[in-house]
Amino acid sequence: MGESRLATIWSLAAAVTILTAGCGQGLLGGGQEGGDQGPIALGMLVPQSGSEAAVGPYMRNAAQFAVDEINGKGGVLGRKLELKVADDACDAQTAVAGAGKLVTEGVVVSVGGYCSGATLPTLPVFGKAGIPMIIPAANSQELVDQHLGHVFLINGTGTQQAAAAMAWITKQGATKVALMHDNTSYSKDIAVRTKKLLDEPGGPETAILEAVTPKESDYSANITNVLGAKPDFVYWTGYFQEGGLITRQLRQAGYKDAIMVGDGSVSGKLAEIAGPEAAEGVYATMTQTPETLQGAGNWIEAYTKKFGSPPGPYSNQSYDAVRLAAEALKNAGSTDGTKVIAALEAINGFPMFSGPLKFTADHTLSAGGFQILVIRSGRFVLQDALK
Amino acid sequence: MSQLIWNGLFVGSFYALVALGYTMVYGVMKLLNFAHGDLYMLGAFTGFAVLGAAGGVPPGMALPALLGVLVVTMAVTGLAGVALERVAYRPLRAAPRLSLLITAVGASFALEYGMRAVAGAEPRVYPVRLGGSAAEVLGARITVQQIALVVVAVLLMTGLNLLVTRTREGRAMRAIALDPRTSALMGINVDAVISRTFFLGSALAGAAGVMAGAYYGKIDFLMGFLIGLKAFTAAVIGGIGNIPGTMLGGLLLGLLESFGTWWLGGQWRDVFAFGVLILFLTVRPTGLLGERVTERV
Amino acid sequence: MSAGARTRGPGTRLGRAVSRLLDSGWAGLTGLAAALLAPFVIATPYALSIMTSAAVFVMLASGLNIVVGFCGLLDLGYVAFFAAGAYTAGVLSTRFGLPLLATVPAVIAVTVVAGVVIGAPTLRLRSDYLAIVTLGFGEIIRITAGNLSVTGGPSGIYGIPGLVDGPVAFYYLTVVVVSLAVAGASRLGRSRLGRAWRFVREDEDAAEAMGVHTYRVKLAAYVAGAVWGGLAGVLFAAQLSAISPGSFTFLRSALVLMAVVLGGMGSTPGVVAGAIVISLLPEVLRDLADYQFFAFGVLLIVVMLVRPQGLWPHRSREAAP
Repeated sequence: MGESRLATIWSLAAAVTILTAGCGQGLLGGGQEGGDQGPIALGMLVPQSGSEAAVGPYMRNAAQFAVDEINGKGGVLGRKLELKVADDACDAQTAVAGAGKLVTEGVVVSVGGYCSGATLPTLPVFGKAGIPMIIPAANSQELVDQHLGHVFLINGTGTQQAAAAMAWITKQGATKVALMHDNTSYSKDIAVRTKKLLDEPGGPETAILEAVTPKESDYSANITNVLGAKPDFVYWTGYFQEGGLITRQLRQAGYKDAIMVGDGSVSGKLAEIAGPEAAEGVYATMTQTPETLQGAGNWIEAYTKKFGSPPGPYSNQSYDAVRLAAEALKNAGSTDGTKVIAALEAINGFPMFSGPLKFTADHTLSAGGFQILVIRSGRFVLQDALK
Repeated sequence: MSQLIWNGLFVGSFYALVALGYTMVYGVMKLLNFAHGDLYMLGAFTGFAVLGAAGGVPPGMALPALLGVLVVTMAVTGLAGVALERVAYRPLRAAPRLSLLITAVGASFALEYGMRAVAGAEPRVYPVRLGGSAAEVLGARITVQQIALVVVAVLLMTGLNLLVTRTREGRAMRAIALDPRTSALMGINVDAVISRTFFLGSALAGAAGVMAGAYYGKIDFLMGFLIGLKAFTAAVIGGIGNIPGTMLGGLLLGLLESFGTWWLGGQWRDVFAFGVLILFLTVRPTGLLGERVTERV
Repeated sequence: MSAGARTRGPGTRLGRAVSRLLDSGWAGLTGLAAALLAPFVIATPYALSIMTSAAVFVMLASGLNIVVGFCGLLDLGYVAFFAAGAYTAGVLSTRFGLPLLATVPAVIAVTVVAGVVIGAPTLRLRSDYLAIVTLGFGEIIRITAGNLSVTGGPSGIYGIPGLVDGPVAFYYLTVVVVSLAVAGASRLGRSRLGRAWRFVREDEDAAEAMGVHTYRVKLAAYVAGAVWGGLAGVLFAAQLSAISPGSFTFLRSALVLMAVVLGGMGSTPGVVAGAIVISLLPEVLRDLADYQFFAFGVLLIVVMLVRPQGLWPHRSREAAP
């Protein structure tokens, strides 16, 4: 087989590929729009593989739940909603590819975003495509600091959560507080902000700021450190998996005083992992959840019936993100990105789990709506609304 | 201080148990079995399934019941290891050594995400827990369950060491480690011995998985990754291919982590552990008890 | 152990035809042409994003190929250099307002220093110990980046300026840079130094005995690999505009190594093909959702069973037919 024949084969193959695939998606093809018919697509980037894979289904199911509910009532702008989910694996590169995929598939609003590190690089991707983002979970300060017009955060911010934590710590009369985080941006942010509040003169003070490595089983070394600082209050700002283990291992090591966890740890699984005795009486800083809202029992029941398991972390925010997107689309009367953004900015008093919604100039919640929950017989119930 | 030592030894005995499988497989095949940590995960889930199938366990019977589960799980993960070797490693024994690394990583992905498809992504919680109250021993809080687990781990490791140093089977393994071709010429059934090596190594990882599940309570489909990495490190510290060295390596790594956390704080722990490892290897390039070998990639 | 395996060439006629096809010099140019034409076929944001990522991955793989493929040094922490490059570019461009292009000399300097610092004490170690030491360095760099405030801690650096405007232009720039890098690596491999690398890989003691300064030669391979990795890091930072420690995990080192081995160690076209497969396969399988990585794992095993020497193995010219 000579080289000239080879070249012929290669160029033939290339030509065939171009002919079969070239249907206007290339540089020379005309820009095509999804059209104004058919369902309106909402895009959702959540981790479905990798280290945070456990959270993906909670968010995806809740968003689907809201989509089905809205479609049951006739959809939006006379069209049905459709949820398109892409995996971000909590990894920047996968997330950017996933965001590109969603943009290509013609989504008009993004309702995903869990890991801050994976969400940050997707901001320009959606931004360039003129797609507004309603971010249900990721809430690190870097998302806010860029002051991007198309980014809206509907989870309480680290500052708001730290303030709620501080209020409860003071109310409990604690004197030395141990802060534990898992060195992810979300978790460290809350811990460091709480530390700042504690470091102000007067009141309780920081006993220790301890970072743990997530995804391990044994935290006894960290706990030895923490207990060595003799705290009378421990605040864990990471996720429920480590939260459960840390709670259990703290109790096993003989720690008897208060333990509090952040909103990433509010899941029935925490109590299961920690075991019923160890988990009893653990506090949590959390936005309002279906569990703590009057009359939201039906929601939990319907969700559980539909998906075979109860809602979990960020289920309610994801559900609200879809509802909020639908509301903004309706108010805008169009799927045009700029109009939807204006509609989102104009929203005032839209009912969500976290309370009536109004965005600040930074596009964050004007009130975090953080409350204190407590575990009673394996379930998080309301302890103090911090009103 | 004694608390730090005890924490380190306890974690280290898990590392050692998993690292032994690494070392044995490396010894006979010169293969870094990346899927080894996932056999630990498989063990944890097998134990979980067996306990679930058996229904409730009466309180007070937790330890004996777990020992029964341990035996069943070791058999299951052992066979899984044998199957893994047969399917993914044996056909490639003549290929470049690093080709095996690919199938090992492939097998690791397949095991992890296969388990995810079967058991779901969210963590599971063991139905039987080894909790219990702690007693102060020389200033360290130690529970009976911890001691039981360490005793089981030590028994398994001692048994393995006896098997390798005192039996015919063990002699065959050591012969293959030295020179597989000559061993075959001397009438050793190399394939069979490698199979049995995989069985033993995988069974130990499975045992460690059940023990971790029962003690810590939480299991998930990615739990094997980090400990696999740690076990590899431990095996190298001790001198990879050397069984007593690997046990020491596991314990040493546990201690390094424990003290690293104490001195520098949790966020610098792994930097400390790896830093010591690197310094140590530049001074003593063959690990604690490893022998000087000449080989290439 | 590895030397004996090479004698078993492809036996069938089909196998020989395939090998000849692969060995012809046209492959590289055809590949480049395909890469340049691809945006005319499909230029959606999704396609451009994964093609750019694939190109960056090719660069990483060709850099690691210098270390592992040419010189036979098993490196499990290659991501350390990738991270060093990306962070150097990111920190200089966001904190000092330098354009990204101006950070390139600094990136090269930093990665050379990193290569020497990591390589100098460890290159006397034999393969598996070298592997764990490099793995350790990879982890140390990632954790340190997550702990220091100059690197932005766990949330990393965001708002890194791009190199050129628009994803299409950036894709073309990436393809050009990566092609140069791949060609450069290939030429290095055929140079006098490259022959020394292969000698060291085949038999280090013999090389030493023949007067090759093995330590210096190995260090050269290591530093070259480091520079390639660092420059790939600059492209990565420019593509994503935000970098965080989560992008530089051990898994990425393992994936790059897989690309090298899957393609065929030491073979430039093979490594390019391997890198494209490893970076695009998960995207192709994306629609399998929950089964994506399961299928990826099974496919890797199957591919290796079918072609144990890699997709496109290196055939040395000196070898007898």
